[in-house]
Amino acid sequence: MNKLLFFAHLKDEAGKESITIDAAGKNVAELKAFVAEQHGMTKLDSAMTAINEEFAEDSDIIQEGDTIAFIPPVSGG
Amino acid sequence: MTERYSRQTLFPPIGQAGQEKIGMKHVLMIGAGALGSGNAEVMVRAGVGKLTIVDRDYIEESNLQRQQLYTEEDVYEKLPKAAAAEKRLRAINSNVTIRAVIADATPDLLDELVQDVDLILDSTDNFETRMAINDISQKHHIPWIYGACVGSFGMSLTIIPGKTPCLHCLLKKIPIQGMTCDTGGIIAPAVQMVIAHQAAEALKILVEDWDAVRTTFTSFDLWRNQYTNIKITKAKDEGCLSCGEARTYPFLQNENLMKTTVLCGRDTVQVRPPTKQNLDLSHLSKQMQLLGYPMKGNPYLLSVDMESQRIVIFNDGRALIHGTKDLAQAKAIYNRLLG
Ligand SMILES: [Zn+2]
Repeated sequence: MNKLLFFAHLKDEAGKESITIDAAGKNVAELKAFVAEQHGMTKLDSAMTAINEEFAEDSDIIQEGDTIAFIPPVSGG
Repeated sequence: MTERYSRQTLFPPIGQAGQEKIGMKHVLMIGAGALGSGNAEVMVRAGVGKLTIVDRDYIEESNLQRQQLYTEEDVYEKLPKAAAAEKRLRAINSNVTIRAVIADATPDLLDELVQDVDLILDSTDNFETRMAINDISQKHHIPWIYGACVGSFGMSLTIIPGKTPCLHCLLKKIPIQGMTCDTGGIIAPAVQMVIAHQAAEALKILVEDWDAVRTTFTSFDLWRNQYTNIKITKAKDEGCLSCGEARTYPFLQNENLMKTTVLCGRDTVQVRPPTKQNLDLSHLSKQMQLLGYPMKGNPYLLSVDMESQRIVIFNDGRALIHGTKDLAQAKAIYNRLLG
């Protein structure tokens, strides 16, 4: 299984801080599309993704047990 | 002088040698809002040689909750942020050379200002400017420090050309402006936390302690008690158009058009003419008076109340149209007054 963490306003959109799903085998882009649809999230697309606290590309494949974090870049200053 | 910086030179990684380096460095700060106020104050108190501050906006009441350099009097006077910051910072440390530039940080202006600059501190509120800073940083080989916040959430990243990935490597899709600013408000501690990260990185770079520079993307949420560091060493993209082999600096391409931008989190459009103007504001104010519009002004800007919009015109020809998010309407109002 994989733990997915949502940061900042993504947490509000998802309605929770984290979810656990089986994402192994999917790449990051596929996972984003899947989660966005499942949870009605509109802003996941431009979020940065980290797998086990390391920056991940859209094409990186998720392995069993990986923790995935979605971090939305913000612009306020 | 010795006494002034003694507590900083007692800190071994800075020391006397580091202090001398800080005193010879020139920092370019883009934006003088919440992050800019705090970053500028740290730099000036630390004794940086020169600080150039660029900001396009003027001070409003809602700024006072977190923009630490400004006062109620500045709000009343409608002072441009860069000018008010300069005044306050000079009072804090008269040894620092401070230059205020009241203007939109366009690629052309950045290109001009970046000469002899050692570090660029990002304190802006939009990705358009940040991506231009990112390209300028790569083009001129100058480090820059990204910082941003919304609600109780904040983030920072240090970018050293030739060493680290750039912001464009990490953000393949540039987030739409206003995506977050409208939603969560902002609390001052989140601002301060970002400032702490940016300013500490700035000091490391100014004393040239390169090994100490943080190599992770930091983000935190002070309300939800989260703190995360993401390793980004693998994120450097050789095909990146900003820092890769075949770079084109896409965010420095200028279109020769009047430019309109909806300002983040506000019911306001900025209109900027293709070339910088030097408007005679007193002449303009007389014209407005004849038309019967209520106004208020100072040497830097003129604020005019029209039916449901307020228009603030700066002497470089730029204007903020409050009370609309409609780009075409804003352009029309601008042209009505200045066309
Ligand atoms: Zn890059």
